[in-house]
Amino acid sequence: MRIDRLVAPWAQRAPDRIAIDGTEEALTYAELDALANRFARAFCAAGLRPGDRVGVHVPRSGRTVAAMLGASRAGAVYVPLDPGSPPARMKLVAEDCGLRQVVISNSLLANWLAAGVREPVEHFFLAGDGPGPAGAAPAVVHPWAEVTAASPEPLPPPGESPDELAYMLYTSGSTGVPKGVMISHRNALAFTEWAADQIELGEAERVASVAPFHFDLSTFDLWSSLSRGATVVIVDETTVISGRRMLDRIHAKGINVWYSVPSALVLMLDDGGLAERGAPSLRTVFFAGEVFPMKHLRRAMAALPQARFWNLFGPTETNVCLAYEVATSPPPEALAIPIGRPSCGDTAAILDPEGRPVPDGEVGELIVDGPTVMLGYWEGGRRTPAKRPYPTGDLVSRRPDGELMYHGRRDHLVKIHGYRVELGEVEAALLSHPGIQEGIAMAVDQQLIAVAVPADPAVSVLDVKRYCATRLPRYMVPSDVRLVEELPRTSSGKIDRVRTRTAFIAADWSLLRPAQRAEVRKES
Amino acid sequence: MEPRVKADIRQHIVSTWLSGDERGFSEETDLQESGILDSFSTLALIAFLDRTFSIQLEPAEVNAQTFRSVSTIARLVMDKLAKNGAGA
Repeated sequence: MRIDRLVAPWAQRAPDRIAIDGTEEALTYAELDALANRFARAFCAAGLRPGDRVGVHVPRSGRTVAAMLGASRAGAVYVPLDPGSPPARMKLVAEDCGLRQVVISNSLLANWLAAGVREPVEHFFLAGDGPGPAGAAPAVVHPWAEVTAASPEPLPPPGESPDELAYMLYTSGSTGVPKGVMISHRNALAFTEWAADQIELGEAERVASVAPFHFDLSTFDLWSSLSRGATVVIVDETTVISGRRMLDRIHAKGINVWYSVPSALVLMLDDGGLAERGAPSLRTVFFAGEVFPMKHLRRAMAALPQARFWNLFGPTETNVCLAYEVATSPPPEALAIPIGRPSCGDTAAILDPEGRPVPDGEVGELIVDGPTVMLGYWEGGRRTPAKRPYPTGDLVSRRPDGELMYHGRRDHLVKIHGYRVELGEVEAALLSHPGIQEGIAMAVDQQLIAVAVPADPAVSVLDVKRYCATRLPRYMVPSDVRLVEELPRTSSGKIDRVRTRTAFIAADWSLLRPAQRAEVRKES
Repeated sequence: MEPRVKADIRQHIVSTWLSGDERGFSEETDLQESGILDSFSTLALIAFLDRTFSIQLEPAEVNAQTFRSVSTIARLVMDKLAKNGAGA
């Protein structure tokens, strides 16, 4: 099976059912199917060849899904781009995988052009009405009317092999350059079909789309739903920042299935009145991406007594590889819930640094094999096949009852509100600032912190933040930047990350003396 | 009243997100472009404004225009206070 085949059968069986219920427009299955074909034809008319990459840089909507599906039907690989990332980072991605065609919203294209980003894109397809910004030449800007004028008839199917590359998700890379995780049709569907089976997702059920499309959680929202004839309800970016707005959307749309990071559920408890209002339509809650603090999980389960809760686990490289159904609210003494057992046809081993299996109860690295393990990385313009079995970098242990427990990462990958962030990438951006001599990034309580030594006393915290915001997506810009005179060192002379972190948490400024600030006249 | 509102908002932003370093920061500084506001800090800022000025910002009132700078946020707060009849 392939992603490009999922929608057509439902366009026959239930043409008038809503497939994507967006903020501004809803697309029925027939409309989504037709629009995907129009996109596929528009891409091909602009010279797309099988295996080419197509960037999709549009806020989540029916049109966005149609563009991804259209690229897939044209035999191309879709690359969802983060609408919250600055053009400079998108340029790195576009150059890395040679994006010659990009579907983009009118306002994001204006941002790209203002930042001087055109190469290597040859064709921009506007996802919004109107002429779009000027100044894209030599790239061609195709207005929305050109896509809708293309024929809705299907192209010949691009291929049969489920092992071809379906899409790439760019994630934070430790060297400072984002890298693409290459996912095949088989990889994607191993998870999305497993998840749909697990909860017996029914046609016409309503599934929330909360996660951004460049985030692997969204593959369930889209491809599980569209495979079963369900309706995807978009919970857009202006809604997900408010617990009240999210819960209003659940109530207004009668959402049945929800998959998000735990933070979104905590927000609905703290700021949306979830405990008082409940959400009777919700029958399944999947969560993943970060640890769900026990006290909040108990509150969520108490507020939604009718819902089944599942903890899904896996790095982007394996999508979901472990799962645990939280059958009953964790007892007061529980410090954590398991990340579960292998799912989606995968197998798991826990190995010590010498590659030997560890006994039950001891911590080792989680090694995964099976159908969800990615094809490999696309990085620096090259494809590197995944190691198999795949070492995840996650430290886990096995309980006597067979459930796996999570113990953190073995490297510098951290999670901020569910987004994975390579501290190395933040540090690379920080250190590329000409006025910064050295610095490190760290995560403390879901906050990204940078502690840096300025080379030039005139450098301000605002300078550093503004500079980072031009190079990193918003969620990777340190929320707290401390400029200090020097950083603590280990005996080998390296920056002592542990002591820096401890000093920061304890606000012990004797270790981290604030840098002398140059006296400058205040702007007013 | 307005200078006071501006000063409170400015002070809060500088102490919360700029480690107290106000060099280069002004009432017109673009809070999005300068990496100060993201979805989570926006949420925290809304909570601060609601609490400090005893207002209740509605979802539709919070957008890239109204939350662009200290000035635009102060204007929004002043409008809310006037509507509540507490602005006098």
